[in-house]
Amino acid sequence: MLGYLAKRLVSTGTVLVLVMMCTFAFVHMLPGDPARLVAGPTAAVEDVQAVRQALGLDKPLPEQFVSYVSRLAHGDLGTSLKTRRPVATEIGERLMPTVWLTVTAMSWSTLIGLLIGVMSAVRRGRWQDHLGMLVAVSGISFPPFWLGLLLINLLSVRLGWLPTGGYGTWQHFIMPSITLGVGVAAVMARFTRSSFVEVAREDYVRTARAKGVPERQVIWRHALRNALIPITTMVGLQFGFLLGGSIVVESVFSWPGLGRLLVDSVSYRDYPVIQALILLFSIQFILINLIVDVLYVVANPEIRYS
Amino acid sequence: MNLRSILRTTALAASVLLPSALWAKPVTVAVYANLTGLDPANVNDFLSQSSTRLMYQGLFSFDQKMKITPLLAESYEANDDATEFTIKLKSGIKFHDGTDFNAEAVKVNIDRLRDPANNLSRRSLVSMVSDVQVVDDTTVKLILEKPFGAMIASLAHPGAMMISPAALEKHGKEVNRNPVGTGPFKFVSWSADTLEVTKNDDYWKEGLPKVEGVTVKSVPESGARFAMLQTGEAQFVPSFPPELLEAAAKNPKLDVITEDSIFEFYTTMNTTKKPFDDKRVRQAMNYAIDKEAFCKVAFGPGCMPADSIIPPLLSFHAAQTPYPYDPEKAKALLKEAGYENGFETDLWSGSSTEVQRGAQVLQQQLAQVGVKANVMPLESGVATEKIWSVQKPEDATVQMYYTGWSSSTGDADWGIRPLLYSESFPPNLFNVAYYKNDQADAAIKGAIGTAKDEDRAKFYAEAQKIVWDDAPWIFLSVPKNYSAKQKALSGVYIQPDRMFVVEEAEFTE
Repeated sequence: MLGYLAKRLVSTGTVLVLVMMCTFAFVHMLPGDPARLVAGPTAAVEDVQAVRQALGLDKPLPEQFVSYVSRLAHGDLGTSLKTRRPVATEIGERLMPTVWLTVTAMSWSTLIGLLIGVMSAVRRGRWQDHLGMLVAVSGISFPPFWLGLLLINLLSVRLGWLPTGGYGTWQHFIMPSITLGVGVAAVMARFTRSSFVEVAREDYVRTARAKGVPERQVIWRHALRNALIPITTMVGLQFGFLLGGSIVVESVFSWPGLGRLLVDSVSYRDYPVIQALILLFSIQFILINLIVDVLYVVANPEIRYS
Repeated sequence: MNLRSILRTTALAASVLLPSALWAKPVTVAVYANLTGLDPANVNDFLSQSSTRLMYQGLFSFDQKMKITPLLAESYEANDDATEFTIKLKSGIKFHDGTDFNAEAVKVNIDRLRDPANNLSRRSLVSMVSDVQVVDDTTVKLILEKPFGAMIASLAHPGAMMISPAALEKHGKEVNRNPVGTGPFKFVSWSADTLEVTKNDDYWKEGLPKVEGVTVKSVPESGARFAMLQTGEAQFVPSFPPELLEAAAKNPKLDVITEDSIFEFYTTMNTTKKPFDDKRVRQAMNYAIDKEAFCKVAFGPGCMPADSIIPPLLSFHAAQTPYPYDPEKAKALLKEAGYENGFETDLWSGSSTEVQRGAQVLQQQLAQVGVKANVMPLESGVATEKIWSVQKPEDATVQMYYTGWSSSTGDADWGIRPLLYSESFPPNLFNVAYYKNDQADAAIKGAIGTAKDEDRAKFYAEAQKIVWDDAPWIFLSVPKNYSAKQKALSGVYIQPDRMFVVEEAEFTE
């Protein structure tokens, strides 16, 4: 296990360097002159030039990349072009709101998705199954943007139960996490159902039934446990997507998180922030993949890594 | 933040929320984008500028109709050729940190702004000043290196507001996050998307402010801003989206406010290149557009066709005879210029929905006279590269560009010079039509060279007449500004330049 982890960490490092190079290249291929955007449209030409020098944008690209990487190695993410504050501070302020939103959305949607999936699988072909899958399909097809506005209109404007947006109390979490989680719940439900149906056909399930193990135990202990392995992968993937994909939801609900920071930074050509965010999202993805692989072993000790 | 602290904040917030009706609450203003900074000398967007005006004040300011009024200044005098301005200051005003506002403070601020080494984005406002002299405690004298008749208008711009010299000393560049001014509200906090300010108890204007504080909250989604207004989480939404006006008007708790603007929309034609190097073609384009229809579709009710190169509320505006909608005349002019079968051209524009709607109306109307315009929306970075960074006029690829302009100094100078003066070609300034007319140049130059209003009026009247006839633009429209507020709140408005003002905000219920 340890050896496996070490190997994974090395390959993770390689991937990271590649990601850094790609981010750097992409960001510099975007059209537009950040120096002029920072200096402002009314700034004189010499002012724009001064900004360009101050930001090091007048140096050749390879040189910029080297200094970028060496600063990264020292834990320096750079300074935001827009706010002139350290990028780490900018991201630090926005990190927890996004993490908490993601965790909340992920928790309920995984749970509900699992329950619907198992129910549909166990009651395959009956009305519970049809209802469950109907709900799941609608969940997938709901555009989050529209769902968000619908919820605001119903729960805030009409009923006055919840704040329309913002961040702070537990009430603020309800609508954004529903909006964010619906798609995941739907995917989870469908995935759990098919995974479960598959497992239910396996010999050991049949054997367990034949041995007279109570149906409840067959479902929860034997079938679900094995069905959980592919589901764990799915959860990991969805988690990664949620972290990066909360952009729409954060905009609708004025959520002060990373998604909105990314949108703002892109429109402002705030290179250091964009680079840092993409790097952060990539690291999250890589880490989650790692965790998922480790969880495989926990879910089923039969799996061994050589 | 861990789970326990979340629970604790939650409990705290719940206990605070309950008796809130008993307290005088702050005004919440919902705006559509994040603020970019709080150093007035170094922000460019009008949301940040509006917000800095909660805390800061300038020597001069604009009233609700964009007229220049003294604020921290008492009065001023200028010499005839507009090279010396002597400004008398009000006395007894203090900054939020308790230090005095005086002539020395003015000197510190203007010197800071005009020093190229400080790299402040609003430097152009005072870059013509060569010396700031403290005459006595309440008198300051600006010496200019060349005549500049619009000096006072420049000082009224929010970019030239007064920061406490002590705060500048203490915070340096970080004054951006630690604003200290003389305004009605004092800074409390500015995090990701929320600015909070509280009432300045020692404010020099009697009886103001009448609310406990102001919260400026950035809510990018317009539907969400409207929802906040409906639930009372926000009481004022400046720049209210026109498509929601009808829904807002139906709500008995809300007021929809329509106000005049100094935004003018137009389409530049590159006068150095075919076919737009021919005045007849440019005039034909003006006859080809039904401006009333354009207004309605692009901007909704209340929009007015432009009647000059600057909007009516700008100083020294002089109305011209409109180009009527006359497609037959347009076709005749095109034929005369040798374009009997029309021509094909690119029409560039911004990428927002509203802007594109306008560009499409133009496209459809130009098609009626045989001009095929390909609408190309440019994202701001692309526009910077394709339009603003072009070094030589002959390298410019722009043909037509649909855009708008608001003179942020409220003066004709900034409404005309950056857009139509021959020294204003990109990358210097914004003359995207690459328009050069010696007579117009002489008039624009003449107007800067004097501080006498009657002379400036004469020069600007001439400039407007010449340019209108030359038609380097398709002159389009001056739309209204829309805002919405809760009925319970009064005293808030937006200025013609779209700045929101909450200094006199008051809850009446």
